[in-house]
Amino acid sequence: MNQSFLSIQKVQKNFGPVTAVTGVTLDIRENEFFALLGASGSGKTTLLRMLAGFEKLSGGDVQLEGSSIAHLPPNQRPLNLMFQSYALFPHMTVAQNIAYGLEMDKLPKKQIKASVDEILQVIQLEHLRNRKPDQLSGGQSQRVALARALVKRPKVLLLDEPLGALDKKLRSEMQLELKRLQVEFGITFIIVTHDQEEALVMADRIAIMKDGGLLQVGTPQEIYEAPESRFAADFIGVMNFLPIRKSSQGFVTANGLAIKANQINNSASNSDAVAAIRPERLMIGEITAIAYHGLDLLLHLKTDLSETPIVVRMTADVAEAHCPSTGQQINVSWYAKDTHIFFA
Amino acid sequence: MAERNTFRLMLLILGVVFAFLYIPISVLVGLSFNEGGLPTAWTGFSFKWYGALLENDDILGAAANTVVVAICSTILSTFLGTFLAVGVEIRRRNGKWLETVIFAPMIIPDIVLAIALLSFFSLLGAKMGLHTIIVSHVVFNLAFVCAVVRARLKSFDWSIVEASADLGASTITTLYRVMVPVLTPAIVAGALLAFTLSVDEFIIAFFTAGAGRSSITLPMQIYAMIRFGVTPEINALASIVMTVSVICLALSQRLNKGGLSG
Repeated sequence: MNQSFLSIQKVQKNFGPVTAVTGVTLDIRENEFFALLGASGSGKTTLLRMLAGFEKLSGGDVQLEGSSIAHLPPNQRPLNLMFQSYALFPHMTVAQNIAYGLEMDKLPKKQIKASVDEILQVIQLEHLRNRKPDQLSGGQSQRVALARALVKRPKVLLLDEPLGALDKKLRSEMQLELKRLQVEFGITFIIVTHDQEEALVMADRIAIMKDGGLLQVGTPQEIYEAPESRFAADFIGVMNFLPIRKSSQGFVTANGLAIKANQINNSASNSDAVAAIRPERLMIGEITAIAYHGLDLLLHLKTDLSETPIVVRMTADVAEAHCPSTGQQINVSWYAKDTHIFFA
Repeated sequence: MAERNTFRLMLLILGVVFAFLYIPISVLVGLSFNEGGLPTAWTGFSFKWYGALLENDDILGAAANTVVVAICSTILSTFLGTFLAVGVEIRRRNGKWLETVIFAPMIIPDIVLAIALLSFFSLLGAKMGLHTIIVSHVVFNLAFVCAVVRARLKSFDWSIVEASADLGASTITTLYRVMVPVLTPAIVAGALLAFTLSVDEFIIAFFTAGAGRSSITLPMQIYAMIRFGVTPEINALASIVMTVSVICLALSQRLNKGGLSG
């Protein structure tokens, strides 16, 4: 790869004695849909606000196409932020809200009107152009906020929990919509979210944040298939954790079965190890029950491998062929290549 | 039964309180329409005392002064008070002491403020007149405007200010395109309150007006007239001042309520 597009270099943020972001280094590519994923308090929103210019950097630098933007105030950065609260101007109509940023760029009136009309069409809200924000539904407000930031065609669009306030059905619709807009506009999107499913569905790459630092950066597939930490393994998707211990032959499970793994992580530690296996990587043998439960089942199995139930994902064709029911004894097996070992 | 009696008792107390508050005012307004000049006997309904006001050059002059003082001090204190409120709310972390300093002119007794201002102007060697009354009224009106605007700012969504900056607006542009329009109901409410306070303010104006008739305001004029007894003319004048004040206050409250929800 040549020169990076948006380069975040050892960025740090202290609020008094509290360190919110601890020296994050990250290269974000052009036209990338990038997700900062983490629980609340992980520093992801602070990092986003530093990119937007609302928080001063305590250390490090941010460079866009090779030149530093860290010293620029928010109104001079070629980045736009879509606020979690949407932050629509209550005294302006939908069209006025969207036009605001273009007026700040001192564009000719005709051009502003054309751009506003165009984006209203893209978000399918032409009929609401003269409404005030308090006359809009949550989903409509969200689209207006998106349009207002997008209409300026920023080099990078920052989105702070853009789907957080929407209900579940609308959220999955908007995930695809956001992805479509990102491709259509050819703009780099950086999204902050605590919802791992959202990140997996939309992002080209994901950075998992914890305690103000980066835990792992990679494509959704990389992070899902090869998590580098127990936290990442647990945070993304469903994962089975089997307590294991070291013996002379290698690792054994709680009930004494020898276990092999594809990936052994941070083996420096020696205590409290776990083996982690994805639900869809567990094979099912000998199903005696015949009961149809629908597509893609998640079966919870009580075993003596661990105190928590083992979760097995069964695809539609397998379920159709075997149809498990509760109370039935079944066997589980898996490949060593699908096993990761973590030390707590 | 007992509950009904308690309710009746409460209604009675309410009635007494209202009577206590409003009978004197009603008497004043009523007598301003009394044709005869005596406060002891009702001789018939008339507007003649209102007519008499219009022919009294002293009163008209004082009224003009009052309007000038009220309008000037309202404009100045609204402008400064709004900026003060915004500044204080942005830099909230400066804490309690700043709050106390700003509220002080509302709490300090008028007589103290009046003496303080008089000493201050004397120290400066300033020539007293309408301008010194205006400046003095700004001192306390500033605090009231600031209080009203700050109350609105407590429920203000600051993310729209950030959004404005994010979309490319400078601080000044954000102020007049986003903050002022959203705060307008509170700013106008504060201005109306300031106007009312200025119109019927007596002590501070009395102390800072200087000598001579040229800078007499309405309350000072009424005070001068009342030394020769309460005339129906004064009743009429007081009724007018009261009406203006009540209208301003009612508007101010209405706007402030509307502002909080919208």
